[in-house]
Amino acid sequence: MAAGHNDNAAYEKQKRAVWVATIIMGVVTIAEVAIALNWPESWGRGVLNLLFILMSAVKAVFIVGEFMHLRYEMRAMMISILAPCLFLIWFLIAFMMEGQSWLALREFWN
Amino acid sequence: MAADTHLEKETEQIQDIWNGGTEPMKASYGKLMMWYFILSDAFTFASFLIMYAALRVSSEVWPDPNAVFNSFPFLHGTKLPLGFVTVMTFILILSSVFVVRAVQEGHRMNQKGVLVWMFLGILGGLGFLGCQAWEWNHLIHQGMTFTSNPFGHYTVPEVVDGQTVDVFKGYVNLVHDHETGEFNLPADGKDNKGNVIPENATKHTGTYLFGCLFFFITGFHGFHVTTGVLLNIMIWIQSARGVYQRSGNYEMVEKVGLYWHFVDLVWVFVFLAFYLL
Repeated sequence: MAAGHNDNAAYEKQKRAVWVATIIMGVVTIAEVAIALNWPESWGRGVLNLLFILMSAVKAVFIVGEFMHLRYEMRAMMISILAPCLFLIWFLIAFMMEGQSWLALREFWN
Repeated sequence: MAADTHLEKETEQIQDIWNGGTEPMKASYGKLMMWYFILSDAFTFASFLIMYAALRVSSEVWPDPNAVFNSFPFLHGTKLPLGFVTVMTFILILSSVFVVRAVQEGHRMNQKGVLVWMFLGILGGLGFLGCQAWEWNHLIHQGMTFTSNPFGHYTVPEVVDGQTVDVFKGYVNLVHDHETGEFNLPADGKDNKGNVIPENATKHTGTYLFGCLFFFITGFHGFHVTTGVLLNIMIWIQSARGVYQRSGNYEMVEKVGLYWHFVDLVWVFVFLAFYLL
């Protein structure tokens, strides 16, 4: 195994990137729980939920990008994996609307 | 004549592509297929979580996660909202990081490094499963099952527009009586916010959908963790036997690692759906 100077530098860089990602994810998780416990009720759930979704998205980006290494793959491969996930956005919206309609029906028949 | 050779050459090139050995997106066949399997699995999990969203939106009441997930092993009686699940999240994230390190050592053909980091990754996975088993056991003991949910609320009859209607007043964790199977108001007569529950209040158990969805979705995730741990153990044994050292690459560690990270990714969304929102 002839690990050249460049290989070694790249390895050290990758190693650092992973630990940085770990620390960021840990901090985000602690922040999520801290916010969940200290959020004043008068501020409402809307902003809070949006905050949680954004923070989870940050964690997802680090897992997929750094841990699963997708950031460093070819662009075509990234698109072929990430683009189909866009369908899920409409999937979620449609079913949330469906749920609201079930609630309205339930209230109507009560 | 010249056109013929040109055609032959082109046919040969096409055949080469279909004969394997090429890497269209600079990723090996196995790695690419693992990615597409993960994509399909992501859709399965997304379907479950979106079903959860639809059913939750359609329910009039839903338990507050801070009041449900507030127990910690060996700290009986102390309320630590979301404390234990934070520990579980950390265990899984760290386990994922350990496997990333194993993959990196694999790229350097460092067998010992792969074995050490993979071992830590396996320990993390087993730790997470142990935590989940404790949490499930605790919730079932509290009376949360597929058909019952102790995390309820109470209503008080009030006159609205000349009619007496039951008005929602607050959430309360009911106490499961293991002998009669009934759910009773807490002995101290206080709801989750510490307000005193009036005498004329009616108790209501929570929607059974909460238990159904919780056990089904975390169970499906736990099943993935179990599979991941088994795969990691297989990879560890193969590495220890020097199989990858002989074949000249540790790509198998990378492929199984992808699956392991995916399990961590799903947990981010399960954590979001059940414990935070």
